[in-house]
Amino acid sequence: MRQWLWGFLFVAFCFACCIAAQHKPRTERISGSAGDVLEDNPVGRLKVYVYELPSKYNKKILQKDPRCLSHMFAAEIYMHRFLLSSPVRTLNPEEADWFYTPIYATCDLTPNGLPLPFKSPRMVRSAIQLISSSWPYWNRTEGADHFFVVPHDFGACFHYQEEKAIERGILPILQRATLVQTFGQRNHVCLNEGSITIPPYAPPQKMQARQIPPDTPRSIFVYFRGLFYDVNNDPEGGYYARGARAAVWENFKNNPLFDISTEHPTTYYEDMQRAVFCLCPLGWAPWSPRLVEAVVFGCIPVIIADDIVLPFADAIPWEEIGVFVAEEDVPKLDTILTSIPPEVILRKQRLLANPSMKRAMLFPQPAQAGDAFHQILNGLARKLPHQKSIYLKPGEKILNWTAGPVGDLKPW
Amino acid sequence: MKLSALQQSYLNRRSNSFRSSGPLDSSSDSAIKSPAAIFWLILHGLCCLISLVLGFRFSRLVFFFLFSTSSTNFYTSPFRSTAELAKTLDVQSVLSTNAVPNLDLPLLNKTVTNSRVVVGRHGIRIRPWPHPNPVEVMKAHQIIERVQKEQRLQFGVKDPRPIIVVTPTYVRTFQALHLTGLMHSLMLVPYDLVWIVVEAGGVSNETASLLAKSGLKTVHVGFNQRMPNSWDERNKLESRMRLHALRIIREKKLDGIVMFGDDSNMHSMELFDEIQNVKWFGAVSVGILANSVNTDETLTDQKKEEEENPRMPVQGPACNASNMLAGWHTFNTLPFAGKSAVYIDDRATVLPRKLEWSGFVLNSRLLWKDGDKPQWIKDIDMLEGDIESPLGLVKDPTVVEPLGSCGRQVLLWWLRVEARADSKFPPRWIIDPPLDITVPSKHTPWPDAPPELPAHEKPVNVMGIQEPVVKHTTKTRTPRKRRSKRKHETRTDTQASTRHSEQN
Amino acid sequence: MGSVERSKKKVQLWKKAIVHFSLCFVMGFFSGFAPTGKDSIFSTHLIATEDKSPQISPPQPVQMLNQSSAATTQVLHSSNNVNVNRSLIAAAAATPVSVPEKSHEHVQVPSRRLIIIVTPTNSRDQFQGVFLRRLANTIRLVPQPLLWIVVEGHSDSNYVSELLRKTGIMYRHLVFKENFTDPEAELNHQRNVALKHIEHHKLSGIVHFAGLSNVYDLDFFNELRQIEVFGTWPMALLSANKRKVVIEGPVCDSSQVIGWHLRKMNNQTDAETDAEPKPPIHISSFGFNSSILWDPERWGRPTSEQGTSQNSLKFVKQVVLEDETKLKGIPPEECSKIMLWRLRFPIGVIPRN
Repeated sequence: MRQWLWGFLFVAFCFACCIAAQHKPRTERISGSAGDVLEDNPVGRLKVYVYELPSKYNKKILQKDPRCLSHMFAAEIYMHRFLLSSPVRTLNPEEADWFYTPIYATCDLTPNGLPLPFKSPRMVRSAIQLISSSWPYWNRTEGADHFFVVPHDFGACFHYQEEKAIERGILPILQRATLVQTFGQRNHVCLNEGSITIPPYAPPQKMQARQIPPDTPRSIFVYFRGLFYDVNNDPEGGYYARGARAAVWENFKNNPLFDISTEHPTTYYEDMQRAVFCLCPLGWAPWSPRLVEAVVFGCIPVIIADDIVLPFADAIPWEEIGVFVAEEDVPKLDTILTSIPPEVILRKQRLLANPSMKRAMLFPQPAQAGDAFHQILNGLARKLPHQKSIYLKPGEKILNWTAGPVGDLKPW
Repeated sequence: MKLSALQQSYLNRRSNSFRSSGPLDSSSDSAIKSPAAIFWLILHGLCCLISLVLGFRFSRLVFFFLFSTSSTNFYTSPFRSTAELAKTLDVQSVLSTNAVPNLDLPLLNKTVTNSRVVVGRHGIRIRPWPHPNPVEVMKAHQIIERVQKEQRLQFGVKDPRPIIVVTPTYVRTFQALHLTGLMHSLMLVPYDLVWIVVEAGGVSNETASLLAKSGLKTVHVGFNQRMPNSWDERNKLESRMRLHALRIIREKKLDGIVMFGDDSNMHSMELFDEIQNVKWFGAVSVGILANSVNTDETLTDQKKEEEENPRMPVQGPACNASNMLAGWHTFNTLPFAGKSAVYIDDRATVLPRKLEWSGFVLNSRLLWKDGDKPQWIKDIDMLEGDIESPLGLVKDPTVVEPLGSCGRQVLLWWLRVEARADSKFPPRWIIDPPLDITVPSKHTPWPDAPPELPAHEKPVNVMGIQEPVVKHTTKTRTPRKRRSKRKHETRTDTQASTRHSEQN
Repeated sequence: MGSVERSKKKVQLWKKAIVHFSLCFVMGFFSGFAPTGKDSIFSTHLIATEDKSPQISPPQPVQMLNQSSAATTQVLHSSNNVNVNRSLIAAAAATPVSVPEKSHEHVQVPSRRLIIIVTPTNSRDQFQGVFLRRLANTIRLVPQPLLWIVVEGHSDSNYVSELLRKTGIMYRHLVFKENFTDPEAELNHQRNVALKHIEHHKLSGIVHFAGLSNVYDLDFFNELRQIEVFGTWPMALLSANKRKVVIEGPVCDSSQVIGWHLRKMNNQTDAETDAEPKPPIHISSFGFNSSILWDPERWGRPTSEQGTSQNSLKFVKQVVLEDETKLKGIPPEECSKIMLWRLRFPIGVIPRN
């Protein structure tokens, strides 16, 4: 009898342990509503020193190809412009909390306008060599109080193909720096802990100009425009978007509720504004410009990208405004979406209507309070003060300057 | 797995203790009393727990390392076959939860360390149930409906006033077409609505059955006068019918916004929101769909007009730069001088009045006998005879509030098309007796060469076809000889003709 | 002897304890493996591609060390941890959404067949907007589900899309690039564009071509939903200032089509262009099950590849023609009620550029 009692207690305890272990991350929430964090004003909370680099690292590149101003990675250029005139900028590097190196690493476009990152590693390396030899600040921490904007597909892995990017890993000399990148996937080689995930650049003026009255009745249930199969790069199918986009098409093309197509109509922005749900499936990388568009246009984003790290996830309550569907659940998408209670949908729409969410997704020119620039600064400010441990002893070296592919070591 | 493991360990524990209890028998029996034994037992249990927790933690650790390394290998090209397998498995196993272990089990074996990390091929999951579930489709539509309702609540007109629509009508060929169009617009209005229908020639079943379909609050009254044939007379009668409706509003003290919806009007739904803005007496622009028959002759004139007025002609309030009422846009009748229709049978353009009633809205309180209404409104009981337009109701035309961005927005259209007065149609559009067969069944409706149709068929004019259709099957066997339309009488349904000749 | 026994006893006791501990350990170990929520374990680790193997990225262990110290020593500092955790929460929060079986209150919802209404429109038509609005008002009243396919030639103006947007109807606005001089050819092309869309998407419903000048009795759409394969009905053509009303369509015995009452219509809008005989049946006077387009075998027809892809409209007409027995007269009572009027209105004299 006693043995039984013991056994029972034991089993109960072990269950309790299990449950506690499972639930621990769920209860770990940030207190306060997202709105407060989004409204934070970074001015006065940090000081950023902008390195003066030769224009060949930034302005000259842009002069060569002005298309860089409008593609999805343009955030790096606007971030530079923004910092130059920002009140958080300091001209005295001694009082700076953060150091910024203005390199336009993604501004190397093919004739079709596709950004290629092949030169970026050498360029970054060359710039770091320059700043480490001209200023004492890099060597002090080996970049731990420096941040770099690397909005490329796979961030500082500098390759557009995921397998190659993973193979490369984050550029060794950027290992200690804070990276500001669009790429975000949990437990991925190309995402450092401590990186700041930002939204991709979407043209703010154009989007604002295409706003339609909010009383326009939403008459599309699910909207998506974009590729389902990337036939050129993935003829077999199943690699692109891990098969999720293909599954969307195959399962829902015949559903009248799913307004999905590969053709981008001229009314793309307007149609998003009259849709209830907008699909944001992963592509080659998990992030998608649709995320920005959906939030700006008040369409509930349906995020289909397992383990995605969303932009400013510490400030934007993505789980409240969006719907997350696991990649393997794509075939059940219709059931999932139709079983959301209308009240929940209305609540999500109300949250999306909050202008602070929309602002945080955009990089407007000139900058506005609460926009994506400010969220980046907020993110940097929240990392302050720096830990003592990042400062190296004189002569101490952690980074291996000769690591990485041989090609990267060539001078730029 | 967990449960079975638990059970097993449990059994083990039991058998263990039984087995071991042999030698310990005496001590365990007395253990209940002995504090030392209890202490040992507790210690024992505690250690057990600790080892359990340790085991759990350890397993997590192992698990984490196992998967973080193995998963990277899973999708490398050497293992594509497994991925393929996973795909086929997936397609077959309806994505039940069972499918997940199926998919993932091979993972456990793939712990081979391979430094190359590739995100590889995934199966494209296609579900075996092909068509959208109708219940879910309906749920989705309910969601959309709810969302739209919420949008209206949030962005729509706050505290909307009821709308009172006044429509003069009479039974005729085009009634069903016109009235149905108007009815559908009114049915969509999201506000309280009362529809006052005044029917010339008395209340008829035709009209009543049409109105019944709307499900709207209707007041259907007869007017003891038949619709005359000349357009001028008609307009006068219609004015009197509208005034009659206004008197009903006064008697019943209906509260709301009065609009004049003629059965040949077409409405944009925004109109009903816009007229909510009226305080006392408002005017909106009316787009005129004037059909001209003599296309060639008027073309040049119209071209000229086109230059100054690029879109369709509009009738309504005209504003000055400071958005004050400055005057009225009227329909330019010049090109139609002497060519407009006098009688409804005339094959000429029907011209609108100088100002159509449908372009005006008013607060129903203006019509009430008492209440605080402005001085400039005339008492409708004092009006002797006819008034040309609602402007006749006010003493001072400057009080009119121009609506719809000061008349720039056209939210309502006017189209007067009628059949000839002697036109016949089957009562309530029910074909009885049946039509005669011109193309027998089993014959193609799209014949390779039109077999039945006589060769001497003349090409008809742009206006289309005029053929008798409603007729006694018994009488007409060869109805397709084309005749000059205006002179020949065609046989028509006797029932229909007796019925409708009174009204036309 | 006593001491030996005692030591034996002691050893046994220890043995027993060790067995218990190890059992517990194994149990804990296995319970750690048990998938409690498939999301928390599988989705977080399965697709995780973090690489811990030191040979590719040597500095990583340093990085890891750095992190863990940061996490343990300073909670405030680690906004990065928070970052990750939030998305974890996000994933966790997302899972309850995927609970599909909860339809207790929606059971009473009648499920109806989809109606697909195809409307070609043309910006050269001056009164396009007016009639489109009137048609939209009617379509808005039709019970769901309904899909309205509006086909239009490419134009710079967004007049139609703006108009459609305000209706609140679930529509698809298809725009094509080709230019046409012949309005009939364009109309046919427009209908084919719509049919191609239906075919490409394998939409399943009853297709009906609704011209801008059609006026409907709402009961019509209920009847339309009753169609299994093909349906046809009488319609009335009304012209301004004319005496006669043209009624044409099927002649039925209950819902069985026993013949047709047709005129030869020299109707511009409905003529076939490619030297084909003009079809006497009006395009608006029949409806069909869209699956005939993408699944002809289901209806006992050979899959004719080019038949459907080249000219879907022609194919549909052909099919209706051959399968007259499957035609259903509407309404089932002798097709005796007119529920669709078509206004023949002379196009306005004012051209719109």
